This record gives sequence, structure tokens and C-alpha cells, in this order.
Amino acid sequence: MSDKAPKRPGTRLRKLFCLAVFSYFALLVLATLSAGLVRGFFAPPTTQPIAFPHTTHADKLNLACDFCHSGVKQEASAGVPALSVCLSCHRAIATDRPEIEKLLGYERRGEPVRWQRLHNLPDFIHFTHQRHIQAEQPCAACHGAVERMLEVQRVRSLKMGWCVSCHRSRGAPRDCATCHK
Amino acid sequence: MDRRKFLQLMGLVSGTTLLSSCGSERNQKELISYLVPPEDGVRPGTAAWRVSTCSECPAHCGITVRLREGRAVKLEGNPDHPVSQGALCMRGQAALWRLYHPQRLRTPLLRTGNGYRPIGWDEAMKRIAEAMTASAEKSRTNMLLTGSTSGSLATLQERFADTCRVNRLPEFELFNHAALRQAYQLLYGRPRLPRFGIEDADLLVTVGADLLETFISPVGYAHQLSVARREKGLQWSHIEPHLSLTGANADRRLTIRPGSEATLLLWLLQTLAKRRRYARRLPQQILDALPKISLARAMDNSGLPGSSLTELARSLEKARHPLLITGGVATAQLAGGQVALLGCLLQWVLTVPWQGLDFDRAENFGRAGDLRDLQQLNLSLQNDEVGVLIISRTDPVRHSPQKWRLDENLRRARLSIAMTDLHTATSRTTDLILPLTQNFERWDDVEPRIGIHSLIQPAMAPLHNTRSEGDILLELQQRLTGRSEAASYEKYLQQRWKKLFSASQLRAFINKGFVTKGSPRTTISLRTKPTVAALRRIAPSEPLPAPATVITGSIRSFDGRSAVLPLLGEIPDPLTTVTHGNWVTLSPRLASQYGVKDGEELRLTKTDFAVAQPARLQPGLPDGIFGLPIDSLTSGPPGIDPATGEALRVIGAIKAHPTGKHLALPILSGSPSQKGRGIIPKPIHRKGKHHAEHRSLYPEPAYRQYRWAMAIDLKRCIGCAACVASCYVENSVPVVGREEHLKGREMSWLRIEPFYDDQGRASFIPMLCQHCDYAPCEPVCPVYAAYHNPEGLNVQVYNRCVGTRYCSNNCPYKVRRFNWWQHKWAPPLEKMHNPDLAPRSKGMMEKCTFCIQRIRTAHETAGKEDRLIRDGEVIPACAQSCPTDAITFGNLLDPQSAVARLIKTPRTYRVFEGLGTEPAVYYLRPD
Repeated sequence: MSDKAPKRPGTRLRKLFCLAVFSYFALLVLATLSAGLVRGFFAPPTTQPIAFPHTTHADKLNLACDFCHSGVKQEASAGVPALSVCLSCHRAIATDRPEIEKLLGYERRGEPVRWQRLHNLPDFIHFTHQRHIQAEQPCAACHGAVERMLEVQRVRSLKMGWCVSCHRSRGAPRDCATCHK
Repeated sequence: MDRRKFLQLMGLVSGTTLLSSCGSERNQKELISYLVPPEDGVRPGTAAWRVSTCSECPAHCGITVRLREGRAVKLEGNPDHPVSQGALCMRGQAALWRLYHPQRLRTPLLRTGNGYRPIGWDEAMKRIAEAMTASAEKSRTNMLLTGSTSGSLATLQERFADTCRVNRLPEFELFNHAALRQAYQLLYGRPRLPRFGIEDADLLVTVGADLLETFISPVGYAHQLSVARREKGLQWSHIEPHLSLTGANADRRLTIRPGSEATLLLWLLQTLAKRRRYARRLPQQILDALPKISLARAMDNSGLPGSSLTELARSLEKARHPLLITGGVATAQLAGGQVALLGCLLQWVLTVPWQGLDFDRAENFGRAGDLRDLQQLNLSLQNDEVGVLIISRTDPVRHSPQKWRLDENLRRARLSIAMTDLHTATSRTTDLILPLTQNFERWDDVEPRIGIHSLIQPAMAPLHNTRSEGDILLELQQRLTGRSEAASYEKYLQQRWKKLFSASQLRAFINKGFVTKGSPRTTISLRTKPTVAALRRIAPSEPLPAPATVITGSIRSFDGRSAVLPLLGEIPDPLTTVTHGNWVTLSPRLASQYGVKDGEELRLTKTDFAVAQPARLQPGLPDGIFGLPIDSLTSGPPGIDPATGEALRVIGAIKAHPTGKHLALPILSGSPSQKGRGIIPKPIHRKGKHHAEHRSLYPEPAYRQYRWAMAIDLKRCIGCAACVASCYVENSVPVVGREEHLKGREMSWLRIEPFYDDQGRASFIPMLCQHCDYAPCEPVCPVYAAYHNPEGLNVQVYNRCVGTRYCSNNCPYKVRRFNWWQHKWAPPLEKMHNPDLAPRSKGMMEKCTFCIQRIRTAHETAGKEDRLIRDGEVIPACAQSCPTDAITFGNLLDPQSAVARLIKTPRTYRVFEGLGTEPAVYYLRPD
């Protein structure tokens, strides 16, 4: 067939336009993916003001989790120990170590330690540790094997789907209002 | 543009929304440790409660303050407190808005020209001390003028006045009930306001006294009335010239001509004194001294038919425990003193025999003066006799008649100082302003009734650079005399409490918030001679010529002092449902006479009184009366009664004319009439199958352990809107302002709807999300943000909501509220947010949740103890604050619960039952 369909005027412009739109969307997709990657996997590691090793305290010394995080059995948040809990031992023990000196410096200045949060939930979520402890959930189920972490990492996504799947498998309430304030 | 292009463009635009949704998490990034573990009961994430006392008005109801993370987030009534019995009115609930008010004074201010400049406390105190010493040299007197004060601060003021040679003026309150106090002084030698035994009465007649709004102790009276109605079958008649919320709630309301109260009471006295039961109550001298009033004259004067008068007299004679209370607008007119005297004399006849008046537990208005004292002060200022004038917690400039020119005369004082927490008319004219710490930031005590000591306890440290009045006075005393009663006000309180209370009493004081000290019961006796002399001076007057205007106290702002709180402007006035703004009410007939409709401005004038406000048509208001709420006055009252010193609030022969201006009035009610909808059923709606029976195609809901439901008793509801204010604070509902209200975009989760019948009788119905079993809002949400939870609640998941607003469209009760804007809370108001609730942002639907955060907390408590939630463990904010216990909440599946019993009464019904929504809110008909 030698007849070809006559080219409509402005075809090149239309092709360019379609290419522009396509590349715009492609760029968008790439931008989103990379932003997700950056904030997810390549997030900068959190540096704590004092390099507290859970390996020493939770593993070697076999301290129970709620020895320091005492709020876990009574209330919503587990909390971090007050300075005086640390100092109950470390006023005398290992006071020559640089990290302990940092701790004693905080006490001297009367300044509270500002730990970098790893496990964080949005404002609109209501989460109580107490109910989960009562349901005999081990700390490691959500926080991982903390006693083997020199520097604590978040090992679970803490996303809603993950919470719901556990609730579903254990028969815990799956009502939206249970967690969404 | 063709369809393909359109779709391409849509695709382009939608791509950009992806990027905008990448927001930052506004979460806490840090976990900050304590230095030492918090004391017992103070834990992050858990609430602590402290007892205290409210000071929004002189009634001083006991409250408990809920603290979260060291901030006060909610106020509730103290359940045992003798004044409030666990309830709190809307002004009390809004007191947190005063604490966190963005315009609170933060430092002492010194006037410079037309503005102010902040100065330090040291400099301020120095100036005051110097001025006070200098006045003595120039033979000027230093004076102290405060609002109602009691307890330790009153004793400190006395010591301060004695040691520093300061003239302590009588306390100034606009609603000072001077006529009543003077009448009691005359009759019994007790210049006090007694505690009325309403809960023991079986017949109550109130003449003018607005018990539910501003009269002495409204929350206490509302509660007592509710108890008496339930348990003693109290019948209540209210007699007034206008229409007030109190009158709207009485069993019978008698409209009399303004100014005829004295004649009416005189006739009643005469008539009852002749009856056998009361024959020997009054000594013959008094009977002889009473001017004679015939029934015909009484009828003519008051405008009441003879049958009403005789019926009134008969009921008073027949009742076992009759109680008659005069006050309010009845005593706030020329010859108001006569009304007070006659009313109190009637009380001697009717009430004192069964000990319905308790002068030993009197209301503490001991040092309150009246406006004649203010007039005297004005004169002293004019004569340059005043050195340093300290005005604390009162607003005389606002509440004095304009013709006195108090604001100008204040400048003639050597140094005028206003001690206040927020700017008032007075503070804008004084030379120096000292900011006071609020109730929730300091220790103090008050004595609302003789013998009842109530604690004021700090909930948090002062937010700004403020000081308490006690500390200021002590420091001044130190500077002036070289020594002070105590090093600080706290120490002074400790000293005084050690003397006042035993050790166990002190413990109870701190823990329970109040101590009731027993006082021996004394008997009162009538002082015949002065009574006879006063009666001889009575000349029965003619009623005021129509049209008259009645200036009413407001349940929303008391005497205007609480109008500065934005929350109270947002909650509609119960009768008119007007929110932000002022108005003048008139009956529909009078309005057509003047040719005005809602919003058209009317100007009211008489000699030196002029007010221009938009009109608001009020069904039930008698023709010939203009109702003017106190906030609508641009300056003070039009004058005072020279005999009693009360501010005049009823004025006759008003000239009114429309100015032609039209102001947009934010009126929230759609219509004052039910238009046959049966929201509060009339007899026709009760005739069995008024609507066809509905069958639902949806499956029957099956609830396992809980089905939360609410029962609202409309007979008890007085429309005071305390529940509305409580809901606002508990759920951090945004206050949207006038412009949004004009567009109909109110945000209240709970509203009070007044409906008037054709005789002008009002009924109030609180309307909130009905949590319907077959909620029309649930199936229409495209993203499943509105769903029905297994406990019967209609839950709104804020995160899911995309803002289609179809749910609000479908709701027949119109209780869903949309966040049209991202509401900003001017700092420090954001500290008032309840952390138990999610913050809602722009584009989300919200509505009543039956206080699901309280249900959740109860679940956790019950879960800890491995049991079900008991009846009464969950009390939503609205039910908690109600003075009359109109709202009951509980689990329908629990047969023992109060709610389960209440829904079986013959009065129970549900609104729009014929629609088949199966609401969980049951109402009990008022009749």
C-alpha cells in the first residue's frame, strides 16, 4: 500500500506535549520514590545525648525493662527513667567513664536529658502500654531484642496495618475508636 | 476544550497534590526525662484533679480542676460542695478561657499619654508607695475599692486599711441586692441575704428574682429547684414584667406591668394577713400601717385578672411550705426599696414559720455597698479629696451612670490604680494597671456563705508576670509601715488557716476543697417599730408608663464581666439564640408597630439614656416592653434609685424609633416554632400511630456488652447551656466568631434549641448527635469515616474524612459540624486543648462523640480490673455540668443502669422517630 494516512498538522507538537506530560509524571513518581527512600532507609541515624548501652544493662545486668521504664504497667506511656533512677547506681558506679561523666554533668546542671525519640506515634493515636502489658505482650514483640542493641533502633514500622494485624490475630478490639482519638 | 484535553489537564493538576501531601510530622521528636520521678498522682499521660473554687461571679461554686501535663484543661463542679453540688454554669466552664486569654495583662502598665508602657513590679510598687505617703501630706485620703471579697483576703484588706491608713470603701458590685439587704436590716436587724430553703418548699413564688441567671447563686438555685420539683412536687410561679430564662422555666409565669410589683405585694400581704392561717403573724400595728389596696386597684395596677390574683393568694395560703423571693429587676427600679420591704415582710408571714430563711448560713454580701457609695466616691474625686485610689476586681467606670463622668473624675485622683486580669473600662482610665494572678494560679480562700470556707488552689504556676492581690497589699504594707502581716500571701494564708481550722478541718479543707463550720441556729424577730415607720412611708405608685425597658442580667456574661471571654459570645443566648453581638428584644406585635424586623436597628431614648441596638423579635415577651441585656448598654445604667442605691434597670416612657440601619445579627435558631415537627411532642404526636411504622432493610444491630445511650429529661432542662460550654471545653471545639455564624457555620457539638408555642411558652431541647442505630450519615460517607462501632456509637474517624460533607447533608438532626478553616488558637489558648482528643484540622467533619475519650478511659480502668464498666463510671462532659441533672448517660444493655430505667417511662420519646433512624438519645417530654 503506498497510501499513507495524511499526517495531521501539528502532530509534532502533540507528540511533544504527550512526552512532556509523561516525563512530568515520571519525574513525580521518581521524586516520590526517592523521598520515601531517603526518609525510610537512608534516614540519618539518631544520636542520643548519652550513649546508653542496653546490652550492659538489660542483658548483662539482666535488669527488667520496667525497672527504668516504669510507666509501662500503670499508664499510657512507658517513659524514660528520671535522672535519679540512673544516678541511684551511677553516682558511685563507673564514674570515670566519659558517658557517666556526661550523666553527672546533667545532674550538676540540673538539666534533664533530651533523648531522641525512636518510637513515635502521631498525635491522633491513643496507645496505652498498660493494656498491652496486661495482655502479656512481651516488650520484644514491638521493640525487638533491645537487650542485644548497643544503640537502639526501631525495628518495626509501627504503621497501622502492622498494629491491626496483631490485633486481628489475637482477638483484640479492632474498632477504629480504640486507637483513633 | 474537548474531553481529552480536560482529562489531560486533570492528570497534570493531580500530580502536584502528591507533593503537597508530603508534610512533616508535627510530633514530639524528643523524650525528655524528669530529674526526679514525679510525685504520686502526677504522671505524664494521666490526669490529676485539684479542688478549687470558681470566681467568675460572687456565687463562688466549688470546682475540681483537671490537670494534664501540668496544665488545667477542664473544670468540673465539686460534687460535695454546698454551693454548687457538683454542677458548674457556662460562665464557670468558660473560666479557663480567662486563664488562657491571649489578651491577659502580662506586666504592670503605666499610662503614658494615650497608651501604656510596661514597667517592672518594683517600679510600680515604688510609685504607689510614694504616692500614698505624699497623699497624706497633701491631706488627701487613700482609698481601696474592690469587688466582692471574702475570706482571708478580706481580713488582709482590713489590716492593710488599718495599718496604712487607707479608707476601705464598701465593695462595689452592680448586682448588689442593696434593696433586699436594707429591707432585712430594717425588719430583722440582719443586713444579710439569707439562704433560701428552696429544696424544702412546695410552693415558690418569685417576683423579679432571676434565680437561674444572675440572682445570687444561680447554680445552687437551679439544683435546689430541680430537687424540690422531683421530691417535693414544688410548684413555681414567676412574676415579672418581661420574659427571662427564669420566667420561661417556671410552672406559671404571670406578666405584670412594670412598676406594679409593690402594689401586688401589698395586696397579697393584706389578703394573707386576714386569712386564718396567718392571722397572728403580723402585729396589729403593722397591719394598721399597711396602706389599703382593693382587689380592683391591684388588678388595674398590675394588669392581672382578678382570678390570677385570688388564685395566687389561695395557693400561698394552702401551701405547707410557701416561699416568696423578690429581687432582680423588681427591686432595681424607683421604689424598689418598697418592693423589697413588702416582699421580705411576706417572707416573715409565709416562710419564716417553717424556717425557710437561714440567716446563719447567709450569703456573704457583708461588705457590699451600693451605688450611692460610688456616687460618694465620685463626689470625693470631684472635690480632689482622693489621693491614691486602688480599684481591684471591679469595674465602676462601666457600671456607673454616664452622667456622673466617673472616668473623667478618676483622673483627679493623685494616682489611680486598677488591679485586674484583663482590661476593663476602668483599667483603661487609670494611671497604673497591676495584673492579677488568676484563680488557677494562686492560693486563696473565700467564704461564699457564712461558715462555708472554700479553697482556691493553684493548678499551675502563673503564666505571666502577675501577682496576687494579697501579695501586692502585703508588699505595700511593708513599704509603707516597715513591717507586714506576713512575708508573703501564702504565709499569711497558712497563719490564718492554722488559727481558723483544727488539724482535721485543715486536712479536709485541702483535700475536699471546703469546710463547713457549724454555727448556732439563731432565731430572727421582727422589729415592729422601724417596720411600721417604713410602711407608713409607702405610697403605692402607678405602674411605669409603657413602653418600658427592662435591663436584664445575662446568663452569658453576668453583669457584663464575662463578655470578654470569646467562648461565651459563641454560645447562643438561650431565649434569642443570638451569639456574637448585642440586641434589644421586643414582641412581634410591637415590632410590627415600629415596622422593624430582626436586625433592624432601634434607638431607645429617654432624658439622659440612649441606646441603639438591632431588634430581635421575642415571642412571649409582653407587648410594651423592650428587653435590653446588660451588655447592650454602651455605658452604665441610666441612673440609680436614691432610696436604695440600686442601679435602675426598669425605666418607663421610653421613646423608640428605627434608625433605618440594618445590622446582621447572628441568630442560630432556624425558627422559634416547631412548625408541627414534633420535636417536643404535642398531644397530637402522642396519639399512637401518628407516623406509619417503619421497617428497616438493614440488619438489626447486635450489641454484645455495651450500647451507650443517653436520656435527657426536658422537664429538668432549664436551657442554661452549661452543658454546651462544658462540651466546648472538653472537646476543644473551636470558637469560630461572628462572620462564620452569620454564614450558619456554627461549631457547637451540642446546642440548646428553644421552641415557643403560640402562647409564647418556651421549651428547651438539647440537641446533639443522636448516635442512631441506622444513622443516615454512615452509608453515605465515601471513605467510611463515619461508621457504627460495636458499642453503639456513631464514630467519626477524623483521619479518613476527606470533607465531602455528605454526612452532614444526610443528617436529619443537623448535628454534624465541618471545619471550614484551620482554626488557629491564639496563644496561650492552645494549652487548653484536651490531649485525649485528636486535633481536628481543616476539612474534617466533627460531632458529638458521647465523650468517647471518657469511655475509652473507663474501658482501660475497667480492663485493668477485669470487669465491665459500671453504671455512672462514664459521665460525659455535658451530663457532668448540668445543674439540674437533666442528662443521664449509660449502658442500655445493663438492666440496672439509670438510662435503661429512664427509657421506659411514659414520657419517653425520640426525636423524628418516624424516620426510622433509631436514635440512642431518648428524651423525656416536659409534661
